[in-house]
Order: sequence, then C-alpha cells, then structure tokens
Amino acid sequence: MIEKYLMKLRARDEISHEEEQALRDAVGEVVHYPADHTFIVPGQRLNFSTLLLEGIVARYKDLSDGQRQITELHVAGDFADLHSFTLKHLDHSVMTLTPTKIVQVPHEKLKGITERHPHLARVLWFSTNLDAAIHREWEVSLGRRNAIQRTAHIFCELQVRLGIVGLASEQEYALPITQVELAECLGLTSVHVNRVLKDLRERGLVEFRGGRVTIADLAGLRRLAEFDPAYLYLDRQSR
Amino acid sequence: MTRYYLDVINGLGLARDQEGEEFPNLAAARDKAAQSIWSILSDELKSAGLINLQGRIEIADRQGSIVLTLPFREAVDIRHDDSSGQEDT
Repeated sequence: MIEKYLMKLRARDEISHEEEQALRDAVGEVVHYPADHTFIVPGQRLNFSTLLLEGIVARYKDLSDGQRQITELHVAGDFADLHSFTLKHLDHSVMTLTPTKIVQVPHEKLKGITERHPHLARVLWFSTNLDAAIHREWEVSLGRRNAIQRTAHIFCELQVRLGIVGLASEQEYALPITQVELAECLGLTSVHVNRVLKDLRERGLVEFRGGRVTIADLAGLRRLAEFDPAYLYLDRQSR
Repeated sequence: MTRYYLDVINGLGLARDQEGEEFPNLAAARDKAAQSIWSILSDELKSAGLINLQGRIEIADRQGSIVLTLPFREAVDIRHDDSSGQEDT
C-alpha cells in the first residue's frame, strides 16, 4: 500500500525491514477523494497526517480577490502535511487536483515512531526539510525566473519527483491537472501559460496536452530552466 | 457559469486556448483577458525591456464564435510626457 512512499525514502536512505513494518503499522484505512476536493483548511485541528498513494495534491493559499497561489504540488509517495504533526494546524489549505487515494497516519502513531525509531524520526525530519527545499526553489522561480523558465522548471522538477516513484520516464509523464491549476502554481494566468506552452512546444522542448507532459529535449529544457536537481537531495546516505 | 476560450494573437502567432475556463459572465472573462495581457506584457518587459502592444485576445464561446476582442493597447493605461521623469532645474 505504501510502496511509493518506501521508494521515495529508499532513494535517499536505507530503511530496514523493521522500520518498514513500523511505517506499515502506522497507516490507517485507504480513503478515496474526488478531484477538486479541499480536505484541510487553515486552522483546522489535525490529529493525523495525510500520505498520498495515488493522484496529485496541492498546498495553496487564496487571496481576497479570488487569486489562488499553489505553493507546492504533491505526488504519490509524498506526505501532503507531515508538518502538521508538529504544527497541529496549518496556515494553508490542501486540496486534490485529481481523483486521489490517501491514507491517514495518526499523529499518535508518528509520535510512537519518533520515540521507538530514532532513525525513522530523522528520515521524517529529512522529508520536511526536503519540502522546505522545494518551497525555496519555487520562491526563486516566482521571484526571479521569467514565465518560460518558470514553466520549464516545474516540468523538470516533476519529471524527477515522479521518476523517483516510477511514474515518469525521461520522455513523458502523466500530469492530469488543468492549465488553470498549472497557472496557479506559476503565478501566471492560464492564458499566459497557454502562450508559454506554445513557445516551449515550438522551441522543440516540451509539450503539455491532455494531462500529459511529453519531453522532446530534456537537456534543453533543463538548460532553459537552469534546473539543478541538487535541491531534491537524490543521494542515498545515512540520515 | 459559461465556458469561454481566450485565444492570444500576437507577435508569436496564435496561441489557441484548448481548455477554456468557466466564468460567471462575459465581463469576468474580459477581466481575465486584461490580467493576462498585463501578465504577458510585464514578463516581456522584465525579461527583454520590450513593450509590444501589437496583439489581442479573442474571447470565443463554446461554439467557437468570437464574442469579444480585447486589443493589448485597450487593456493598458499609457501615460507619458516629454519630461522623462526629470524635474526642471
């Protein structure tokens, strides 16, 4: 059930069978959510974290004028809100962008893991640090990269993150989100994104159509985006 | 809600909106078109120092009929004079 999560962890560290069992014992029942379903709102008291098994989930904040900023996307094998374990409530919302399969991990069980498995506690700490690194990279994109570089960058990032859990090749991956949602990640309007996508397609780099990303030239795409996967900490070592 | 399709026509040619977006009315679609023009122009200005007002957004309905055209120059308020921001001394 949590295979993708284990793949993600084992890409960065060794997880023993005992640790794997402790993680398996911590998860609750599988829950299915439809697309466009907000399942965490700011301030809501949380006594569990949500682990994503299938689908795409967004962390986001809304402004009073109706604008929405998606601050991070989560893919299968990610915790959508491991940080709620220590924060107890969130300052942002979390919603599904696609039909999604999740499991809830009670904070009480996470507490037990941190007490009985210090190495797993460090692995969980690593995960929230990794989320922070992804947030920093989005911050650079939103603040400094132009529209085409920013769009290219998110395609590069998702190719790596989905690749780790076996959901992307160097040529393509499924990204069944709308252009409006992509625009909400990029701080652009969907019309602007549409024009940027045309530019990327005509440059022979990448195509995003019908919920699929087709990469024609990964090296060229990474060059344009100035994408360096170092911030995704892909090295396997003891944490 | 009505689905409208916002196509951009400018120096790079036509970028057709395949997906469309739901709006409460045409005025809301026009607002989104104006915001999109500002977004495109600001990106070009920031990355190339270019202000190219030769373009338009065509808003089409589900049948593909154009219901409103917003030229880039109508979406922006342009102010300039000869002083170049310098105070007379």
